[in-house]
Amino acid sequence: MYGSLGSRSPVMLMFLLLCTSIAFSASAETTLHTNNWAVLVCTSRFWFNYRHMANTLSLYRTVKRLGIPDERIILMLADDMACNARNKYPAQVFNNENHRLNLYGDNVEVDYRGYEVTIENFFRVLTGRHETAVPRSKRLLSDEGSHILLYMTGHGGDEFLKFQDSEELQSHDLADAVKQMKEKRRFKELLIMVDTCQAATLFSQLHSPGVLAIGSSKKGENSYSHHLDSDVGVSVVDRFTYYTLAFFEKLNMYDNASLSSLFTSYNPNLLMSTAYYRTDLYQRNLEEVPVTNFFGSVMETIHTDYAYKILSKKTFEKVKIKMPSEEPVDHNEQRSLQNSNVQDQTSDTKTEAQQCPFTSTWNSFNKKMEKIENIDSLVSYGLLIMLPLLLISTWLSRFWSSDETNGGFGGMSNRCK
Amino acid sequence: MAGTKVQSEVPKTRQRPIVRLGVLLISHSLLVSVVCCTAGVLALLLLPVLAKNTYISENALMPGSASSMLSNQEVSEANKLIKDITSLYSKPSTAAIESRRLIAQYMSNLGAEVNYHKFHPQPNEFHPLHFFSSPDAGMIQENFSCASYGVNTVGVIRAPRGDGKEAIVLMTPYNSVNGDLQEALPLGIAYSVFSLLTQVTWLAKDIIWLVADSQYGEYAAVAAWLRDYHTPVFSDLSSLNTELCHDGSYILDLKENSNLERKISYEFRRSGTMAAALVLKVVYRNEVEDTLSIFAEASNGQMPNLDLINIVNYLAVHRQGYHVKVEKVWSLLNSKWLKILGEIFESLGKFVKSLNPDWKFGIPVAEYIEGTATLASSLYYQAIGVPTGPHGAFRDYQVDAITLEISPRVSFNNKDRRNDFLLQGGRLIEGVIRSVNNLLEKFHQSFFLYLLTSPSKFVSVGVYMIAFALLVAPLPVVAASLYAETLNLIPTSEKEKSAADDELGSVLRSWKWLNSAKRVFIVHLWGAMVSLFPYFISQIPNCTPTTNFHVWFLLSVFSLVILKWILGSPFSQLCGLQPQEEWAILKSVTISSFFIGLCLMSVINFATAEIGALLMVPTSLMAHPLKLDVRGGRFLRFSRAICNLVLGVISFPPATFFILKGMFEGYSGINAGDFWNWVESLWAWNSATYLYIGMVHLPCWVLCVHVLLHPC
Repeated sequence: MYGSLGSRSPVMLMFLLLCTSIAFSASAETTLHTNNWAVLVCTSRFWFNYRHMANTLSLYRTVKRLGIPDERIILMLADDMACNARNKYPAQVFNNENHRLNLYGDNVEVDYRGYEVTIENFFRVLTGRHETAVPRSKRLLSDEGSHILLYMTGHGGDEFLKFQDSEELQSHDLADAVKQMKEKRRFKELLIMVDTCQAATLFSQLHSPGVLAIGSSKKGENSYSHHLDSDVGVSVVDRFTYYTLAFFEKLNMYDNASLSSLFTSYNPNLLMSTAYYRTDLYQRNLEEVPVTNFFGSVMETIHTDYAYKILSKKTFEKVKIKMPSEEPVDHNEQRSLQNSNVQDQTSDTKTEAQQCPFTSTWNSFNKKMEKIENIDSLVSYGLLIMLPLLLISTWLSRFWSSDETNGGFGGMSNRCK
Repeated sequence: MAGTKVQSEVPKTRQRPIVRLGVLLISHSLLVSVVCCTAGVLALLLLPVLAKNTYISENALMPGSASSMLSNQEVSEANKLIKDITSLYSKPSTAAIESRRLIAQYMSNLGAEVNYHKFHPQPNEFHPLHFFSSPDAGMIQENFSCASYGVNTVGVIRAPRGDGKEAIVLMTPYNSVNGDLQEALPLGIAYSVFSLLTQVTWLAKDIIWLVADSQYGEYAAVAAWLRDYHTPVFSDLSSLNTELCHDGSYILDLKENSNLERKISYEFRRSGTMAAALVLKVVYRNEVEDTLSIFAEASNGQMPNLDLINIVNYLAVHRQGYHVKVEKVWSLLNSKWLKILGEIFESLGKFVKSLNPDWKFGIPVAEYIEGTATLASSLYYQAIGVPTGPHGAFRDYQVDAITLEISPRVSFNNKDRRNDFLLQGGRLIEGVIRSVNNLLEKFHQSFFLYLLTSPSKFVSVGVYMIAFALLVAPLPVVAASLYAETLNLIPTSEKEKSAADDELGSVLRSWKWLNSAKRVFIVHLWGAMVSLFPYFISQIPNCTPTTNFHVWFLLSVFSLVILKWILGSPFSQLCGLQPQEEWAILKSVTISSFFIGLCLMSVINFATAEIGALLMVPTSLMAHPLKLDVRGGRFLRFSRAICNLVLGVISFPPATFFILKGMFEGYSGINAGDFWNWVESLWAWNSATYLYIGMVHLPCWVLCVHVLLHPC
């Protein structure tokens, strides 16, 4: 968590430091949802498994479109179909026989490719135990406020998922990794989505709270491909992923479709298998959770004309998201969902204000600053203020870092390394 | 029998169950052999019922998942090639060279790498030391004549994004000397596919199109090309060798068309290892529908991977609407006893189904008869060990290959019909190539050991092994029981005498089988000699097959007599063997050696061992001195003697050959030379069946006859 904050200004650091150090005693459930991560894994090799790569790339495109930035997506592709000599369309991957959408366009960042996609690396990503040389872009730098989407596709069976035609990830292994993640406070909520045969069996060992799991098929069922592209000569997408994508194609970043509407959208007749979801570890009501909580990003980004204004603007006040005029399927339900969501957010602000006494003064300070019309003077004013703050913050951080090595966090992080 | 001795000495220790079981089997050897032999024959007849449907085992293949890209444009180009080639036939003197150049030019215009491959055909000779050796070892051409040589034309398409380490071979035999339209049509099909494949982006394996010059036989041309493909020569010696034989007309040609010839070199062009090879032929046989015949048997009963046959069958039936056939023994289709047997199995199947609807057993009579006819042919072609087409040459290099023979419904002279024919055939080949192109490794997922009962049904090794195992199971049992009987046969009077006798007598008695073993060994030695005779006989110039056969026969008999005279010492008298036990021990050793020979053969070529066991196991088990049977005068014994005589005649290899030939092809026009020709084909193709007949089957037969005629 501190790592992710380190890139910001010292002012923010100090400010947040105070807030979090006060709030730390509170349990993880009350931690704010701070960011969204996605780990997308295609586990199978070989040309005839083209559809698994297409599945993963389609989901990659979707979560990116819904707002998760590339730096927060770990994309693992076990084989490179785009450059396979058998690909009729070199360097392109399609998930539909109409070939309208090339999934392997310009902005695809594959973090783990080919033989790098192993169970070992998958666990290193999840648990964050990397060798020192691994670049930040290949790490899952989530924190205890993160919502993580873990999507996996490949060939599975009863309580296992095949990696690379040579290894098998077992349900115990997955549950163990999730447990470690929970203990290391690497997520607030985790959605595991698996598109394999007998996908539901992979979730049987999960025990960590905050985990939501959905699989394409129940025990004893196969997951089937959706259609064959007779031009490329392979099946290009699996049914479960196809209908998931169909659901998301109707949405944009600001839509508030709930997770339950996603889960109920799967028609067993179309899927030719029964989608299974496990919610007993998840506290919130699925109808109140928008899908964008996992598949999109809730990071509040505020557009400003001026670069420095962001310093003063940065607050915990939630920015009202404009609702689109046309709403998806269930009008009434959606409306109520939105309302509850807004309530949630305001109450969050309130508790935050109570917890952090600085916030109120900071807000009033902000308002004052906003009143100043001359921007140049604001800047100089702000810069002047920054100097002493910088001094204080460096002093504080030094104090804190020494504190950390001796204190509770240090002990904990040592234990988890 | 050692077990009983132990029991008598230490009565309290019980024998192990396996020993007791063995003793039980040996003591009931007659029942065991009758039951096992019947069950073995029955299991063989049941195989068509037990056949499973073929399925594509390798996931990567995905036949038919891609739509065909071959269009009328390629077909019209191919039509142009056919027209150009057929127009060359009007001038037979230059047709060979001109057609070769024409094909090369067409290939070159498509952007493929083209080269000529010159080879000298090798005469079919008997090389006694070349059995089981790889074809390229020591087969260096030494004294070929410059006048006779063939020229293969080879075109290679490099896969645009492939690694060039693998290739798919498409082969069309073409006789440039006396060609006709039928010869040109496979070229047309192959050309249409080849021109399409030069344009596509999805190739992962290189494509090699081999136009094999078949004036000296299709097999020889392919084998020569494969030999040179797999034995790279790094010195200039070989090229010099071929240069020496350049005749005048060739140099003239070079000058004439230097621009083209520069591109088309004699330098051997290679690609990677071959994933699969398809041999394409077209014949016209007045079929009712468009028919595709698949030939798969290679030397010594080796088969290509079943997946290759599966994808061809799948694409031909489900995509191109061909009627797919594999070889059948046609005369079996009308046989009465097969029909009766089929009806029995069908009613049995119905009965089983009435017991439990889930049990699937039994097939319709027509299907059973077809299946048996196909199975018999599959078994026969695997057993003789001679490849059924040029695809056999590929199997020698572990390349999966089959021959596809297309016979259309109507004649080729109809222009529109010919276009359809080319399109249909081309799409089939394209589909197969695209499917094999998807392959990541060699064919390995499906079966290599199988018998076909129809193009879409097979019997795997696990099932057909049972029939063989049941047939050979009585052999060791009977051998052991015979030996045990002779041990107990020692008369009581002799026993009393031997008690006083020295130890030498008992030692001699326990080693008395050695005498019989020596005799068996001599006969096997004679068998090896008999197998070597044809090498010398074939050196005699100007001989008809019939005289060759007679010479061989006489030589064999003569050598047997001489061997017996030299080595056959009256050892049996030395250790005081009764004639009664002598024949029993001889039979026991014969059966043991035959059992070993059969088991060894079943590893090399299963089908040969199966047929050999069918013929020889009853003969060797029944063998009993005729004198004893006739002397007894009882009906059962007499019938046994007659059975023995009949079996003895049937299992003599030439007699078997003539009987089977007469049954399937009619007795008219059979002469003794046919057998010589048949055997010649066996050794020319280095078939292990020849060794089996010479060194296992024939000695066993001689020993059985020896037992029959035993003077006791």
